[in-house]
Amino acid sequence: MRNSYFVILIIALIIAAIGILSIYSTTYQKEGKLWQEIYKRQILWVLLGLTMFIIMSNLPYRWLWDWTYFLNAAALFFLFLVFMLGVVRLGAQRWLKIAWFNFQPSELAKLIIVIFLSRYFSRKEVYDTSLLSTKFGIFRGLILPFLFVAIPMGLIIEQPDLGSGLMILFLFIAVLYLSKLKLKYIFIFLLIMILALPLVWQILRDYQKERLLVFLNPNIDPLGAGYTVIQSKIAIGSGAIFGKGWLSGTQSQLHFLPEAHTDFIFASFAEEWGLLGSAVLLILYYLLIKQGVLIAQRTNDYFGRLLALGISLMLGIQVFINIAMNLGLAPVVGLPLPLMSYGGSCVLATFVALGILVNIDRTRAIF
Amino acid sequence: MNRTRIVNLIVIFMFLFLSLGLLNLEVIQGRRLRDLSDKNSIRLLPQIGARGKIFDREGNIIVDNKLSYDALILPQEAGQPDKALAEGARILEIGLQDLKNAFNNGYIAPSVPVVIAKNIGLKKAIALEEVKFDFPSIIIHPSPIRHYSYNSLAAHVIGYVSEIDRWRLTKLADYGYKTKDIVGFGGVEEKYDYYLRQEEGGLSVQVDHRGRFVRVLGFRQPRQGRDIELTLNLKIQKIAEQNLADRKGAVILMDPYTGEIIAMASSPNFNPSVFSDKSGYSISGLFNNPDAPLINRATSGLYPAGSVFKLIVATAALETKKLNPSTTFICQGSMNIGKQKFSCWDTHYRQNLIGAIERSCNVFFYRTGLLLGAQTIHDYAIKFGLAKPTAFELPYEASGFIPSPLWRKINKFKNWFDGDTANLSIGQGDVLVTPLQITRMMAVFANGGYLVTPYVVKAIDAKDISSYQRKITSLHFKRSTIDYIREGLRDVVLSPAGTANVLADLAVSVAGKTGTAQAPGGQPHAWFVGFFPFKNPKFVICVFLERGGPGYLSCLVAKQIIGMMIEEGLI
Repeated sequence: MRNSYFVILIIALIIAAIGILSIYSTTYQKEGKLWQEIYKRQILWVLLGLTMFIIMSNLPYRWLWDWTYFLNAAALFFLFLVFMLGVVRLGAQRWLKIAWFNFQPSELAKLIIVIFLSRYFSRKEVYDTSLLSTKFGIFRGLILPFLFVAIPMGLIIEQPDLGSGLMILFLFIAVLYLSKLKLKYIFIFLLIMILALPLVWQILRDYQKERLLVFLNPNIDPLGAGYTVIQSKIAIGSGAIFGKGWLSGTQSQLHFLPEAHTDFIFASFAEEWGLLGSAVLLILYYLLIKQGVLIAQRTNDYFGRLLALGISLMLGIQVFINIAMNLGLAPVVGLPLPLMSYGGSCVLATFVALGILVNIDRTRAIF
Repeated sequence: MNRTRIVNLIVIFMFLFLSLGLLNLEVIQGRRLRDLSDKNSIRLLPQIGARGKIFDREGNIIVDNKLSYDALILPQEAGQPDKALAEGARILEIGLQDLKNAFNNGYIAPSVPVVIAKNIGLKKAIALEEVKFDFPSIIIHPSPIRHYSYNSLAAHVIGYVSEIDRWRLTKLADYGYKTKDIVGFGGVEEKYDYYLRQEEGGLSVQVDHRGRFVRVLGFRQPRQGRDIELTLNLKIQKIAEQNLADRKGAVILMDPYTGEIIAMASSPNFNPSVFSDKSGYSISGLFNNPDAPLINRATSGLYPAGSVFKLIVATAALETKKLNPSTTFICQGSMNIGKQKFSCWDTHYRQNLIGAIERSCNVFFYRTGLLLGAQTIHDYAIKFGLAKPTAFELPYEASGFIPSPLWRKINKFKNWFDGDTANLSIGQGDVLVTPLQITRMMAVFANGGYLVTPYVVKAIDAKDISSYQRKITSLHFKRSTIDYIREGLRDVVLSPAGTANVLADLAVSVAGKTGTAQAPGGQPHAWFVGFFPFKNPKFVICVFLERGGPGYLSCLVAKQIIGMMIEEGLI
């Protein structure tokens, strides 16, 4: 029981430390005090995250059950707030300026949606405590929960943050699948999604369309939309087996690679540490996610199990999309790499999620 | 199957997918992507060394290098290049628009300085250097360019330098030549470009994504080109060119024993510095000039030999014993061969070979030629090195031509007549020679029967290469033949009736032969070729005037040249 606590904590801290090293390496040469001290901010965020991890791991997770609707309301409130008066950065309105830092509510919203869906599908019959979700029809099993998810998702896509929006969609499908909902409904949902694709294409912004086209063929616009992918592939590939060494990555340090300390931090890392370093990193992430799945399998409480799986998948999908996009195997969407990318909201949200995960494993033992 | 386990499998699959992607990029494509990454961030800034100098045989500098100052603008420092350009335009007195065009056309990357004006002169360079504090983007870059101390002196032997052309580039790319390289054109500059050429050094620098300089990675010192010492004597070269002056033609002075070229002048000539200064107008003028000033007439000009060819006929006749010193022919001003009348330029009556050489009698040589036959004359001309290049080292040497009955039959489907033999005997008809070939022919008589290979480069990088350059072959003529013709050549000058008698009153004993080569449409070409001093020849001289009139005029030029050489104590 204490086992999973320390395994998760140690893996998370190692990844965070690797992240800080990479952030330092990509920014220490940039002009301006702000850039050169950015790694210190990340250290601060990780420390703050650690505190949240400890708090959450000690707070019995069942309180989330009771507070779900409040959390949902809070998430919606912040997303609306972003919509109304968010800070525009890099052409997107994703941040809320609170005191001295910028807060990105969509990071937390993802977690809250996982909590909400877990709760929704694990309600029980009053009489025989059997799961309600097995008896759900198409309205209660599909339409209603989707409406709940669609509002924050729409707000996030509108920011625009296609990556987080898509992630929520993937999470929704995943939780549907993991709940005992009839497979028929899930297929219906997927069918509708596929049929809606042409409509979605119309809604997409020009730059998003460009990115998707560029993903199919990065060379159509090597200096424009395809630039990032090409530079990222060059960065990763030039690392070869042993890498160029810490602080020696030319792609990331000489600014050939944009967003080298946030979305493309994996490319910066792979350039300096090579195949060996990246393989170790992949293994660490896999072990972290594996811990989540193991916890779910050990948990008897249905809500706890769904939540643990949801959190693991949330991390897994995010890691997968981010690294695949770094490797040029997925379109460029603005998703950070959990625990590594620079950004307070993401670090905090991830540590909170990990804290909940650990607590699920702890609470199980109490029963 | 349990849905949780399926999800677990999907997660494993996702990580395998990522691992394969990583393997593909870092191992399979690793080398190619590493190259691309280096290309992104490493730039080479070339630094040019100085081309080798060229000296004459006494160590006087003919060509060296001077510093030329180019004005450059470094875009990454410029901020607003317009202001720096405006200041540049004010100081350089060049139109602002021209500078802007030069800047925009030359722009490559922020870290690469753009040349906005070349060869701006020391004063303007200093003036620009003074405003550098306000305009840090302005760079004054000194680079060595060719400097010709004597302007056009020996221009044809030296050649000129200019940017490499496409033809040379395709030929020389394997030897490390690149576009925009400065290479030699014509003369020693072209032939010995490999030695004269400096080796480019350079700075390898790291740049960032906008091409701005980050740090120096490495530096290689440029290597200077090797110096070349010529066999030319500048003073004699000057005298030769001075006397050729505005006339078209060529003057060659050669050492008869070794083949060293002491002077080689071709007129009209050109000033090679126009190619370094890049004044487009004067360059195109050189190429378009109908007088072809870039052609070295001494080695590449082809002309009928005229009477100087008679020496070959005389040698052939003596060697084949068709004539002996006492054989005489009567010249009555003309003779009939077949139905055609072949005339002489005068009426010489009875004379032997010496007399015929002395007065350059055509009839005597018609008869000698008919005795010999065209093929024998042709073979002797080949022996004297005509109809093929002399193997002189400078490029673009012409080979010339000597007709023969066989050639006529094969190539023209025509028969050879006695009239053709007569024409060949006096060096007319299809005979074409270069002044250098004739000079070499005369050297055979000067040195007693040896065919030399002319050369002009004496030493490379202070290492004497004369022993490689000297290629002397004996023609195995009888001593008596040579002596007899030498006597005739001396008489050409000494005898009051000799065609070069005007040279008799020089303080040095000259021997030689004149020639007045008829050419269709206009004045004949004037030849004088000889050697001096008569007893122990030090120089063979050839004066050729293209469409210069009778050979007598060449004698006058030769007289002036030899006279001035005596005056300056050069003999």
